[in-house]
Amino acid sequence: MRTGDVLPPLTLAITRTLIVAGAIASRDYQDVHHDPELARRKGSPDIFMNILTTNGLVGRYLTDHFGPTAVLRKLSIRLGAPNYPGDTMVLTGTIEQLDGDTATVRVIGTNGIGAHVTGTAVLTLGGER
Amino acid sequence: MNGRTAIVGIGATEFSKDSGRSELRLAVEAVRAALDDAGLAPADVDGLVTFTMDTSPEITVAQAAGMGELSFFSRVHYGGGAACATVQQAALAVAAGVAEVVVCYRAFNERSGRRFGSGVQRREPSAEGAALGWVMPFGLLTPASWVAMAAQRYLHTYGLTPESAFGPVAVTARRHAATNPAAYFHGRPITLADHASSRWIAEPLRLLDCCQETDGGQAIVVTSLERARDLPHPPAVVAAAAQGSGRGQEQMTGFHTGDLTGLSESAVVARQLWRTTGLGPADIDVGILYDHFTPFVLMQLEEYGFCARGEAAYFVAEDRLPLNTHGGQLGEAYLHGMNGIAEGVRQIRGTSVNQVAGAARALVTAGTGVPTSGLVLTADG
Amino acid sequence: MHTDEDLTERLKAFEGRPAATEGTGKDPVNLPMIRHWCEALGDTNPAYSGPDAIAPPTMLQAWTMGGLSGHTGRSAAYDELLGLLDAAGCTSVVATDCEQEYDRPLRPGDEITFDTVIESVSDRKTTKLGSGHFVTTRTDIRVGPDLAGTHRFRILKYAPAARPEKPPRPRPVVNRDNAGFWEGVRDRKLLLQRCTACAAPRHPWLPGCNACGGLDWDTVEASGEGTVYSYVVMHHPPFPAFDPPYAVALIELAEGVRMLGNVIGVPYDKVRIGLPVRVEFREHDDESTLPVWRVTG
Repeated sequence: MRTGDVLPPLTLAITRTLIVAGAIASRDYQDVHHDPELARRKGSPDIFMNILTTNGLVGRYLTDHFGPTAVLRKLSIRLGAPNYPGDTMVLTGTIEQLDGDTATVRVIGTNGIGAHVTGTAVLTLGGER
Repeated sequence: MNGRTAIVGIGATEFSKDSGRSELRLAVEAVRAALDDAGLAPADVDGLVTFTMDTSPEITVAQAAGMGELSFFSRVHYGGGAACATVQQAALAVAAGVAEVVVCYRAFNERSGRRFGSGVQRREPSAEGAALGWVMPFGLLTPASWVAMAAQRYLHTYGLTPESAFGPVAVTARRHAATNPAAYFHGRPITLADHASSRWIAEPLRLLDCCQETDGGQAIVVTSLERARDLPHPPAVVAAAAQGSGRGQEQMTGFHTGDLTGLSESAVVARQLWRTTGLGPADIDVGILYDHFTPFVLMQLEEYGFCARGEAAYFVAEDRLPLNTHGGQLGEAYLHGMNGIAEGVRQIRGTSVNQVAGAARALVTAGTGVPTSGLVLTADG
Repeated sequence: MHTDEDLTERLKAFEGRPAATEGTGKDPVNLPMIRHWCEALGDTNPAYSGPDAIAPPTMLQAWTMGGLSGHTGRSAAYDELLGLLDAAGCTSVVATDCEQEYDRPLRPGDEITFDTVIESVSDRKTTKLGSGHFVTTRTDIRVGPDLAGTHRFRILKYAPAARPEKPPRPRPVVNRDNAGFWEGVRDRKLLLQRCTACAAPRHPWLPGCNACGGLDWDTVEASGEGTVYSYVVMHHPPFPAFDPPYAVALIELAEGVRMLGNVIGVPYDKVRIGLPVRVEFREHDDESTLPVWRVTG
């Protein structure tokens, strides 16, 4: 593994089920994440994914790749284009820095509208919990 | 008229998205190119025919193209439905002896100028305007949307899906365009999957069910068969030419009568063409069917009797008739059907880029959903 | 009336004040919620199940969520801040950033407490969504005395950008031949022409009868009952008077004539051929009343 290495992409279908299940599993009952009618009334074309689900998916992407012994130390994300039902998000990652067993990874999730999420994660690879 | 006249010249400008010149200039260039192809001079022309929609008057084209006096000029109404009827007008004039060499033309900046696909929002309270007034307030504003209403009923009636029914028409056109250097979509074939994944325009129509929008001009030269035999190219004999308007006919918004699964105007044309020539669908070597939108190609195949009702999608998928060998208006260019007439002529001459071996009889049709027209072109002798 | 600068100054006064003090998790960290999270997100990491399971670190915020029963420990200051923003027209909210540090894993049985501080409130910013203020909070999450993680969260409280005013729909095209129909609609009646010679009803309105050529006619009021004969879902191009996608239907009336209209009572993607409908009338603006078709079955 080297700086500049690119992680294999993860393609996720942004289904209505994923958006609603993620919102409820993260205990986020904001109507814009489950009620299309109310979401539209607030000016959104449809329901959209909440930030906790996006955060969780980025976390999953990283630990899927680095394995169960990798430990996530920091994760910072910024949201851009919303994830609406029917879209597809492709998560990609690049290793920005390697320092001993500590990796800094840049992650981008792109959907049909643009960049949904950009973020940076710091992981300890194969480390103790 | 029938069998006594022939198309002796075809000429076009390039087909583009932005011609960079006036519609009049495109008309004149196309007319001059067609006369060159025919081996005739502007001074030989005594008749001109175009569409009522065309912005270049016959007198102005004559003036700018170096023509002299005209003894016949005429225009045909109803948008793309006029295409083959311009040739009918020319053939009638020649056969009746009121003109000897008649040029039919159509030229526009339909992509860089006024795009039909951008729709209508307002109409004068004339009888024509009032007809659109029944649909505009509800948001049905584009040609695609008007065709989609019948397309939906067609799918429903025959239990078809938009992908399986309309996809083969689009794929066939783009396959032919891919090998036609004059086509806008030259070198760019599509698959059924491409069709199925293209975005909705007016459901059940997708982007790839809709013809392109084009800047360009196309002209066709008609004269008597005797004179044609002295000219450079083998004549494409106008064996039959017909117009058709159904009972209760409307322009694009014909929702109020009939079952919406067919095109009654095409039935009127088909009946005349088959009766006049004594031919039938089985005798046709190549079909150039007006393809502004894929569903109306299916309905035309059924109205002309190439297959039973509801079966045209299979007919096209199985390639049972060489169809729109220039790429159609989906693939080559949207020239209001006039480029299709030119392809019919090339097939009879044996010069198409997708030549059907030994083609001697071509069916060419004009825009449907409006009063329409059609031609049977045959080889001489 | 406060100026923007006044408002910003008042907002800035909240920086450093607590947003939540000694909040407690609604539930202890537990396997069922972990499992639900993993199931929703498709996360199969074995670290999150079994006897030594830990919670996915990205669940950190989930343990602090108030859910439907509301937050615990929320301070008056935070409510005041949000109220001030609401009053300034910044009624919408969207989360923009989440920065988490994970100091120790959370395990089933851990009972969390948390303290949140308002770190910063931005100046008025103009974004694609509208103009508003970013509010950044930092939450420290503890198990007993130990810091388990910190969670910095940024929301945008904003006034939704005013949408360009919707132009009116295209007008009906009214002339001497069809004025009676549109007058009827204005009076909330659906009038059909009827040939006095052959009694055939007709639509669209025309001065003569296609069935018999008769020029004399009277009108009958339609029952208003019909079915969807066909329909189109409009996607492109976008017309400013309409919000694509929208459905336009061809209605076959009980009297046998057809007319075009919009269907209400079902979403655009649930319009189907054969749906029974009944006419209603809607005023679209000062000048325009249109028939509309409500699904009845």
